[in-house]
Amino acid sequence: MKRAAHIMVDSLFLVLALLTIGASILALESRELVYGAVSLAVSLLGIAGLFILLEATFVAMLQVIVFVGAISVLIIFVVMLVRREKWVALPAGGEVFGGLLIAILLVAVVGYLAVNSGISSTLPPSYAPPSYTQIGIQILTDYWFALEILGLVLAAAVIGALTMAKIEGNEP
Amino acid sequence: MDIPVILVGILSAAALLLPALDIALRRASRTFSAYFATFVIAISLGIVLLSAVGVIPLTESVAPNLMRNDLMGLFFSMVVLSVALLVSASSIDYMKNEHNISIYYSLLLFTSLGMVILSFAVDFLMIFVAWELMGIPTFILTGYRKKDLASNEAAVKFFILGALATGILLYGISIMYGLTGSTNLPAVAAALSKLSPDMLPMAAFSVIMLIAGLGLKLSIVPFHMWIPDAYEGAPTTVSALLSAGTKKAGFVAGVRILAVAFPLLKLDLTLTLAIIALATMTLGNLAALTQKSITRLLAYSSIAQAGYLLVGIAVLPSTNLGLTGLLYHSFNHAIMQGLAFLAAAIVAVRLSKTTLSSYEGLSKTMPLTSFSLTIALLGLAGMPPLSGFWSKLVLFTAAVEGDLTWLAFAGLLNSALSLGYYGLIIKRMYVDEPSETIQVREPAGFTILLLAAAAVIILTGIYPAPIYDFAQRAVLALTP
Repeated sequence: MKRAAHIMVDSLFLVLALLTIGASILALESRELVYGAVSLAVSLLGIAGLFILLEATFVAMLQVIVFVGAISVLIIFVVMLVRREKWVALPAGGEVFGGLLIAILLVAVVGYLAVNSGISSTLPPSYAPPSYTQIGIQILTDYWFALEILGLVLAAAVIGALTMAKIEGNEP
Repeated sequence: MDIPVILVGILSAAALLLPALDIALRRASRTFSAYFATFVIAISLGIVLLSAVGVIPLTESVAPNLMRNDLMGLFFSMVVLSVALLVSASSIDYMKNEHNISIYYSLLLFTSLGMVILSFAVDFLMIFVAWELMGIPTFILTGYRKKDLASNEAAVKFFILGALATGILLYGISIMYGLTGSTNLPAVAAALSKLSPDMLPMAAFSVIMLIAGLGLKLSIVPFHMWIPDAYEGAPTTVSALLSAGTKKAGFVAGVRILAVAFPLLKLDLTLTLAIIALATMTLGNLAALTQKSITRLLAYSSIAQAGYLLVGIAVLPSTNLGLTGLLYHSFNHAIMQGLAFLAAAIVAVRLSKTTLSSYEGLSKTMPLTSFSLTIALLGLAGMPPLSGFWSKLVLFTAAVEGDLTWLAFAGLLNSALSLGYYGLIIKRMYVDEPSETIQVREPAGFTILLLAAAAVIILTGIYPAPIYDFAQRAVLALTP
């Protein structure tokens, strides 16, 4: 029974991981910007699935609401509005292989380290995920200061983004 | 008093007020926002200095699990706020004709605040949040000249690599959290000391990810590629901020993380870091020798200086002297590099050229700027009576004490090498004849600022005790 559950979780993880990575590659490589935006949404959805698999339902929910919901829709809107812009496709040369090589090397190193360390043997047998109330209390007690500063980060980002987007003088 | 919280209040209020005032006052706010921001940063620096000399006692933080109010934080706050003050005051003249000037100052205040919080943060979560508060405004400041292609390129490069580095940093933090079950640095240290040996490879991997993530801001080889382009494309005052300010704030995060993780992990990173330090200083100095533009030259020199600073972290397991040297050199380097970039900024404004050949005979047209730039360059090279000499001396002594004599020797050779290109600029300014003699007016406020910074370099060189003492006490207070 336990073995069957393991196989199910493992196969689910594999599917979600492949979905996430495949969609990310598609998001970067697609020629049409809309496809890229949709692929990005799919990839973010895959990450939400991984969070659910880790029993982090709160994070998964936020992932869906903020990233899949708000950000992807926003990106698609932007794509719609700036459609007339010409997107220049740069021919990719040897960089692709270089990048692939580095990525494979990195995965190999991380995989080697993970397999050779004690990670696989020290999985906690059962562990109750924190409730939403606990998360809320933690954020407002232990981490209140970080929350305040996050508000400032958001303010700075909004001010900066508005400045970047603002039309100045005789711009078209 | 709880200094970081007070500074959060002051700086964030000013940073949020400036854009609002801009809408309310329209045109009139241009000069006002410049003076206001400078005034606010000066007040903040004043508070930090008063606290450092003990007039305002430093109490425990209101969020003790996230922030640790200690001398280390105060020291780096002093460094970064001094740089912010230099940048802000010089921008009054340098950015005079730019658009959205109040936004520029608002973002400058946000970055300063991020750097100050980063100096005090002792929790990975807080370090990350402060890191973002420091980083996001600098991306925009780098691309501040929207119609300048070089500025755009610099901002895009900086942003993409910055985002990548943030991701790598976060990855390292998450592995560390997975290994130790906490984000609080003392708790992480306690858990690391009990870490089972078969987890050591993962811990090493996490530390490497952390170094790589921080390394981008620290401008150490091999994470330095963006530096010359970004410093050249950005408004030169922003380059001064990046080189002298955010880099130092990155070092404080590195010190806090590694000083905690190092002694407990049974990992020998000394040699690795020593090699990185050697590669960083050598590459920076060699590349600087061949540069044709002053901003690129200063960018490479800034990379080389990061190599010297890294010596302090490399010798960490064997001696505390390295950390003292790191702090001490951080202060000196911040002032010297800031001054050098700002002098380059004013020359670029007046001559609208940044090539090295435009410095020929500069001492005749801009005598005071040339003088302060000379002081800064000699300080960077490590000339004896100036402050840069003492801090390099401390760093290299620490290297000898930490059994890395070869590194100290390499550092000395590098210093000699750096005198080559620093000296060349000085020669151009004082010996060479100018190609054209146009009388250039040196703006009074700007010149006073440059001379003040030069005075700091000379005075702390002649009488180095207060800063060195402060650095030493800060290092002693780091470990409870």
